[in-house]
Amino acid sequence: MPKCMKICLAASAGGHLTQLLRLQSAWNGHSTFCVTTSDVVLEKLQKYGKVYVVGECNRQHLLKVLLVLIRCIRIILKERPDVMISTGAAVGCIMCFLGKVTGAKIVWVDSITNVDRLSLSGRLVWRIADLFLAQWQQLAEQHKNVEYAGKII
Amino acid sequence: MIFLAVGTQFPFDRLVKAVDVAVTELSLGEEIIAQTGEGSYVPRNFKAVPFIDKNLFEKYISQASSVISHAGMGTIAAVLGYGKPMLVMPRQQKYGEVVNDHQLAIARKFEMSGHILVAYEAQDLAGKINQLKTFVPRERDSQHQMVAERIARFLTEISGEQKFGE
Repeated sequence: MPKCMKICLAASAGGHLTQLLRLQSAWNGHSTFCVTTSDVVLEKLQKYGKVYVVGECNRQHLLKVLLVLIRCIRIILKERPDVMISTGAAVGCIMCFLGKVTGAKIVWVDSITNVDRLSLSGRLVWRIADLFLAQWQQLAEQHKNVEYAGKII
Repeated sequence: MIFLAVGTQFPFDRLVKAVDVAVTELSLGEEIIAQTGEGSYVPRNFKAVPFIDKNLFEKYISQASSVISHAGMGTIAAVLGYGKPMLVMPRQQKYGEVVNDHQLAIARKFEMSGHILVAYEAQDLAGKINQLKTFVPRERDSQHQMVAERIARFLTEISGEQKFGE
Protein backbone atom coordinates (compact mmCIF):
# COMPACT_ATOMS: atom_id res chain seq x y z
CA MET A 1 0.00 0.00 0.00
CA PRO A 2 1.48 3.37 -1.02
CA LYS A 3 1.96 6.02 1.62
CA CYS A 4 -0.80 8.56 1.92
CA MET A 5 0.19 11.74 0.12
CA LYS A 6 -1.42 15.14 0.06
CA ILE A 7 -2.69 15.81 -3.44
CA CYS A 8 -3.91 19.11 -4.83
CA LEU A 9 -6.61 18.80 -7.50
CA ALA A 10 -6.64 21.99 -9.55
CA ALA A 11 -8.96 22.79 -12.46
CA SER A 12 -11.14 25.58 -13.79
CA ALA A 13 -14.85 25.08 -13.18
CA GLY A 14 -16.55 23.53 -16.22
CA GLY A 15 -15.14 21.03 -18.68
CA HIS A 16 -11.66 20.98 -17.15
CA LEU A 17 -13.05 20.04 -13.75
CA THR A 18 -15.45 17.50 -15.23
CA GLN A 19 -12.51 15.73 -16.82
CA LEU A 20 -10.44 15.84 -13.64
CA LEU A 21 -13.19 14.34 -11.49
CA ARG A 22 -13.62 11.41 -13.85
CA LEU A 23 -10.16 10.36 -12.67
CA GLN A 24 -11.17 10.10 -9.02
CA SER A 25 -10.10 6.48 -8.63
CA ALA A 26 -6.51 7.63 -9.31
CA TRP A 27 -6.14 9.29 -5.91
CA ASN A 28 -7.84 6.61 -3.82
CA GLY A 29 -6.20 6.33 -0.42
CA HIS A 30 -4.56 9.75 -0.58
CA SER A 31 -5.77 12.96 0.99
CA THR A 32 -6.89 15.71 -1.37
CA PHE A 33 -7.83 19.35 -1.52
CA CYS A 34 -9.14 21.36 -4.46
CA VAL A 35 -8.43 24.65 -6.18
CA THR A 36 -10.98 25.91 -8.69
CA THR A 37 -12.34 29.09 -10.20
CA SER A 38 -16.00 29.36 -9.27
CA ASP A 39 -18.17 28.48 -6.29
CA VAL A 40 -20.87 26.98 -8.52
CA VAL A 41 -18.93 23.71 -8.32
CA LEU A 42 -18.56 23.64 -4.52
CA GLU A 43 -21.17 20.95 -4.09
CA LYS A 44 -19.53 18.74 -6.68
CA LEU A 45 -16.20 18.97 -4.87
CA GLN A 46 -17.45 18.32 -1.35
CA LYS A 47 -16.03 14.85 -1.08
CA TYR A 48 -12.55 15.87 -2.21
CA GLY A 49 -11.43 17.73 0.90
CA LYS A 50 -11.09 21.44 1.42
CA VAL A 51 -12.02 23.56 -1.58
CA TYR A 52 -10.37 26.87 -2.44
CA VAL A 53 -12.18 29.12 -4.91
CA VAL A 54 -9.70 31.60 -6.40
CA GLY A 55 -11.87 33.23 -9.07
CA GLU A 56 -11.75 33.23 -12.84
CA CYS A 57 -8.65 34.30 -14.68
CA ASN A 58 -7.37 34.29 -18.23
CA ARG A 59 -4.76 36.03 -20.32
CA GLN A 60 -7.12 38.90 -21.17
CA HIS A 61 -7.32 40.20 -17.61
CA LEU A 62 -3.86 40.61 -16.16
CA LEU A 63 -5.03 42.18 -12.93
CA LYS A 64 -7.23 39.18 -12.22
CA VAL A 65 -4.33 36.89 -12.98
CA LEU A 66 -2.29 38.73 -10.36
CA LEU A 67 -5.06 38.42 -7.79
CA VAL A 68 -5.47 34.72 -8.48
CA LEU A 69 -1.70 34.29 -8.33
CA ILE A 70 -1.54 35.82 -4.86
CA ARG A 71 -4.37 33.59 -3.64
CA CYS A 72 -2.66 30.53 -5.11
CA ILE A 73 0.66 31.39 -3.42
CA ARG A 74 -1.13 31.55 -0.07
CA ILE A 75 -2.77 28.18 -0.69
CA ILE A 76 0.49 26.50 -1.70
CA LEU A 77 2.36 27.86 1.32
CA LYS A 78 -0.39 26.74 3.64
CA GLU A 79 -1.07 23.31 2.16
CA ARG A 80 2.32 22.22 0.78
CA PRO A 81 0.94 19.40 -1.39
CA ASP A 82 3.13 16.42 -2.34
CA VAL A 83 1.47 16.14 -5.75
CA MET A 84 -0.39 18.47 -8.12
CA ILE A 85 -2.92 16.95 -10.50
CA SER A 86 -4.46 19.29 -13.06
CA THR A 87 -6.38 19.26 -16.32
CA GLY A 88 -6.03 23.05 -16.80
CA ALA A 89 -6.54 25.75 -17.57
CA ALA A 90 -4.78 28.90 -16.31
CA VAL A 91 -5.41 28.19 -12.64
CA GLY A 92 -4.06 24.68 -13.01
CA CYS A 93 -1.00 26.06 -14.75
CA ILE A 94 -0.36 28.56 -11.95
CA MET A 95 -0.81 25.94 -9.24
CA CYS A 96 1.54 23.53 -11.02
CA PHE A 97 4.34 26.10 -11.22
CA LEU A 98 3.89 27.11 -7.59
CA GLY A 99 3.71 23.47 -6.56
CA LYS A 100 6.94 22.74 -8.40
CA VAL A 101 8.70 25.49 -6.49
CA THR A 102 7.63 23.96 -3.20
CA GLY A 103 8.71 20.48 -4.26
CA ALA A 104 5.48 18.85 -5.41
CA LYS A 105 5.39 16.32 -8.24
CA ILE A 106 3.37 17.55 -11.19
CA VAL A 107 0.76 15.50 -13.05
CA TRP A 108 -0.81 17.24 -16.04
CA VAL A 109 -3.59 15.81 -18.18
CA ASP A 110 -4.14 18.03 -21.19
CA SER A 111 -7.81 18.70 -21.89
CA ILE A 112 -9.47 16.67 -24.64
CA THR A 113 -10.47 19.89 -26.39
CA ASN A 114 -6.88 20.31 -27.54
CA VAL A 115 -6.90 18.20 -30.65
CA ASP A 116 -4.24 19.60 -32.96
CA ARG A 117 -1.81 20.98 -30.41
CA LEU A 118 -1.35 20.99 -26.67
CA SER A 119 -3.08 23.73 -24.71
CA LEU A 120 -1.11 26.89 -23.96
CA SER A 121 -1.13 25.98 -20.26
CA GLY A 122 -0.06 22.48 -21.17
CA ARG A 123 2.87 23.71 -23.25
CA LEU A 124 4.06 25.79 -20.30
CA VAL A 125 3.63 23.02 -17.74
CA TRP A 126 5.24 20.48 -20.08
CA ARG A 127 8.71 21.70 -19.03
CA ILE A 128 8.11 20.95 -15.36
CA ALA A 129 5.67 18.05 -15.43
CA ASP A 130 6.64 14.70 -13.92
CA LEU A 131 3.82 12.94 -15.72
CA PHE A 132 2.23 14.55 -18.76
CA LEU A 133 -0.73 12.86 -20.45
CA ALA A 134 -2.43 13.96 -23.66
CA GLN A 135 -5.81 12.66 -24.77
CA TRP A 136 -4.96 12.31 -28.44
CA GLN A 137 -2.43 9.76 -29.64
CA GLN A 138 -0.88 12.05 -32.23
CA LEU A 139 -0.08 14.73 -29.64
CA ALA A 140 1.81 12.17 -27.59
CA GLU A 141 3.77 11.19 -30.69
CA GLN A 142 4.67 14.79 -31.45
CA HIS A 143 6.11 15.61 -28.04
CA LYS A 144 8.86 14.08 -25.95
CA ASN A 145 7.72 12.98 -22.50
CA VAL A 146 4.04 13.14 -23.39
CA GLU A 147 2.10 9.92 -22.95
CA TYR A 148 -1.25 8.81 -24.28
CA ALA A 149 -3.18 6.63 -21.84
CA GLY A 150 -6.67 7.08 -23.28
CA LYS A 151 -9.45 9.63 -23.32
CA ILE A 152 -11.19 10.72 -20.16
CA ILE A 153 -14.39 11.76 -21.90
CA MET B 1 -38.65 16.92 -27.17
CA ILE B 2 -35.53 18.36 -28.77
CA PHE B 3 -33.22 20.18 -26.38
CA LEU B 4 -31.25 23.11 -27.76
CA ALA B 5 -28.32 24.40 -25.68
CA VAL B 6 -25.73 26.99 -26.65
CA GLY B 7 -23.64 27.09 -23.48
CA THR B 8 -23.23 29.95 -21.07
CA GLN B 9 -20.04 31.83 -21.84
CA PHE B 10 -20.92 33.67 -25.05
CA PRO B 11 -24.09 34.19 -27.07
CA PHE B 12 -24.57 32.01 -30.15
CA ASP B 13 -27.33 33.61 -32.21
CA ARG B 14 -26.19 31.91 -35.43
CA LEU B 15 -27.29 28.55 -34.06
CA VAL B 16 -30.50 29.76 -32.42
CA LYS B 17 -31.56 31.51 -35.62
CA ALA B 18 -30.64 28.54 -37.80
CA VAL B 19 -32.78 26.24 -35.65
CA ASP B 20 -35.63 28.75 -35.73
CA VAL B 21 -35.45 28.92 -39.54
CA ALA B 22 -35.13 25.14 -39.86
CA VAL B 23 -38.25 24.63 -37.76
CA THR B 24 -40.30 26.59 -40.27
CA GLU B 25 -38.87 24.51 -43.12
CA LEU B 26 -39.31 21.12 -41.47
CA SER B 27 -42.30 19.65 -39.78
CA LEU B 28 -40.66 18.39 -36.64
CA GLY B 29 -43.71 17.25 -34.75
CA GLU B 30 -41.69 17.79 -31.61
CA GLU B 31 -41.39 20.49 -29.00
CA ILE B 32 -38.11 22.38 -28.66
CA ILE B 33 -36.77 23.45 -25.28
CA ALA B 34 -34.02 26.02 -25.67
CA GLN B 35 -31.25 27.50 -23.55
CA THR B 36 -29.88 30.38 -25.58
CA GLY B 37 -27.51 32.36 -23.31
CA GLU B 38 -27.25 36.09 -23.60
CA GLY B 39 -28.01 36.29 -27.31
CA SER B 40 -30.12 39.04 -28.83
CA TYR B 41 -32.01 36.91 -31.37
CA VAL B 42 -35.54 36.06 -30.23
CA PRO B 43 -36.78 32.79 -31.76
CA ARG B 44 -40.34 32.78 -33.11
CA ASN B 45 -40.99 29.06 -33.09
CA PHE B 46 -39.99 28.05 -29.59
CA LYS B 47 -39.56 29.45 -26.13
CA ALA B 48 -36.07 30.18 -24.94
CA VAL B 49 -34.48 30.83 -21.56
CA PRO B 50 -31.01 32.36 -21.22
CA PHE B 51 -29.71 30.01 -18.54
CA ILE B 52 -30.74 26.87 -16.69
CA ASP B 53 -29.12 25.22 -13.71
CA LYS B 54 -27.06 22.07 -13.93
CA ASN B 55 -29.78 19.73 -12.66
CA LEU B 56 -32.35 20.96 -15.14
CA PHE B 57 -29.74 20.79 -17.88
CA GLU B 58 -29.14 17.10 -17.11
CA LYS B 59 -32.88 16.48 -16.84
CA TYR B 60 -33.57 17.98 -20.27
CA ILE B 61 -30.81 15.90 -21.83
CA SER B 62 -32.13 12.73 -20.24
CA GLN B 63 -35.66 13.45 -21.48
CA ALA B 64 -34.80 14.70 -24.95
CA SER B 65 -35.13 12.56 -28.05
CA SER B 66 -32.09 14.42 -29.39
CA VAL B 67 -29.93 17.41 -28.57
CA ILE B 68 -28.75 20.31 -30.72
CA SER B 69 -25.93 22.39 -29.27
CA HIS B 70 -22.67 24.24 -29.68
CA ALA B 71 -19.58 22.00 -29.72
CA GLY B 72 -18.70 22.57 -26.06
CA MET B 73 -16.91 19.61 -24.56
CA GLY B 74 -19.02 19.67 -21.39
CA THR B 75 -22.23 19.42 -23.39
CA ILE B 76 -20.89 16.76 -25.74
CA ALA B 77 -19.70 14.67 -22.80
CA ALA B 78 -23.03 14.99 -21.03
CA VAL B 79 -25.10 14.08 -24.09
CA LEU B 80 -22.88 11.15 -25.10
CA GLY B 81 -23.13 10.01 -21.50
CA TYR B 82 -26.86 9.59 -22.00
CA GLY B 83 -26.34 8.02 -25.42
CA LYS B 84 -28.57 10.61 -27.10
CA PRO B 85 -28.35 11.53 -30.79
CA MET B 86 -26.60 14.87 -31.02
CA LEU B 87 -26.14 17.57 -33.64
CA VAL B 88 -23.60 20.27 -32.95
CA MET B 89 -22.73 23.53 -34.62
CA PRO B 90 -19.19 24.52 -33.68
CA ARG B 91 -18.63 28.11 -32.66
CA GLN B 92 -16.18 29.69 -35.04
CA GLN B 93 -13.54 32.31 -34.54
CA LYS B 94 -14.25 33.91 -37.92
CA TYR B 95 -17.77 34.77 -36.74
CA GLY B 96 -16.50 36.14 -33.43
CA GLU B 97 -18.27 33.37 -31.51
CA VAL B 98 -15.26 32.12 -29.61
CA VAL B 99 -11.61 33.04 -29.11
CA ASN B 100 -10.17 30.09 -31.03
CA ASP B 101 -11.32 27.24 -33.24
CA HIS B 102 -11.09 24.40 -30.74
CA GLN B 103 -14.83 23.71 -31.15
CA LEU B 104 -14.28 23.18 -34.86
CA ALA B 105 -11.49 20.70 -34.19
CA ILE B 106 -13.46 18.84 -31.52
CA ALA B 107 -16.57 18.67 -33.74
CA ARG B 108 -14.57 17.18 -36.63
CA LYS B 109 -13.00 14.53 -34.39
CA PHE B 110 -16.26 13.38 -32.85
CA GLU B 111 -18.00 13.51 -36.22
CA MET B 112 -15.33 11.29 -37.78
CA SER B 113 -15.65 8.78 -34.97
CA GLY B 114 -19.42 8.56 -35.55
CA HIS B 115 -20.46 9.98 -32.20
CA ILE B 116 -22.22 13.16 -33.36
CA LEU B 117 -23.57 14.97 -36.41
CA VAL B 118 -22.16 18.38 -37.29
CA ALA B 119 -23.60 21.40 -39.10
CA TYR B 120 -20.71 23.73 -39.79
CA GLU B 121 -22.79 26.45 -41.42
CA ALA B 122 -26.35 27.66 -40.83
CA GLN B 123 -27.54 26.38 -44.21
CA ASP B 124 -26.49 22.82 -43.31
CA LEU B 125 -28.64 22.69 -40.23
CA ALA B 126 -32.07 21.73 -41.58
CA GLY B 127 -30.63 18.79 -43.51
CA LYS B 128 -28.73 17.61 -40.47
CA ILE B 129 -31.80 17.83 -38.26
CA ASN B 130 -33.47 15.44 -40.68
CA GLN B 131 -30.55 13.04 -40.35
CA LEU B 132 -30.70 13.35 -36.58
CA LYS B 133 -34.06 11.56 -36.50
CA THR B 134 -32.47 8.29 -37.57
CA PHE B 135 -28.93 8.87 -36.36
CA VAL B 136 -27.60 6.25 -33.94
CA PRO B 137 -24.46 7.50 -32.21
CA ARG B 138 -21.60 5.07 -31.87
CA GLU B 139 -21.24 3.90 -28.33
CA ARG B 140 -18.58 5.67 -26.39
CA ASP B 141 -15.72 3.51 -25.17
CA SER B 142 -14.82 5.05 -21.90
CA GLN B 143 -11.12 5.00 -21.22
CA HIS B 144 -11.10 7.25 -18.20
CA GLN B 145 -10.31 4.27 -16.00
CA MET B 146 -7.13 3.62 -17.98
CA VAL B 147 -6.02 7.21 -17.50
CA ALA B 148 -6.83 7.03 -13.79
CA GLU B 149 -4.83 3.81 -13.48
CA ARG B 150 -1.83 5.40 -15.18
CA ILE B 151 -1.89 8.24 -12.65
CA ALA B 152 -2.42 5.84 -9.74
CA ARG B 153 0.64 3.89 -10.89
CA PHE B 154 2.66 7.09 -10.99
CA LEU B 155 1.50 8.01 -7.49
CA THR B 156 2.54 4.60 -6.20
CA GLU B 157 5.95 5.01 -7.80
CA ILE B 158 6.63 8.40 -6.28
CA SER B 159 5.14 7.70 -2.86
CA GLY B 160 8.23 5.64 -2.13
CA GLU B 161 10.54 8.56 -2.99
CA GLN B 162 8.71 11.35 -1.21
CA LYS B 163 10.16 12.69 2.00
CA PHE B 164 7.66 13.36 4.71
CA GLY B 165 7.66 15.49 7.82
CA GLU B 166 10.46 17.76 6.73
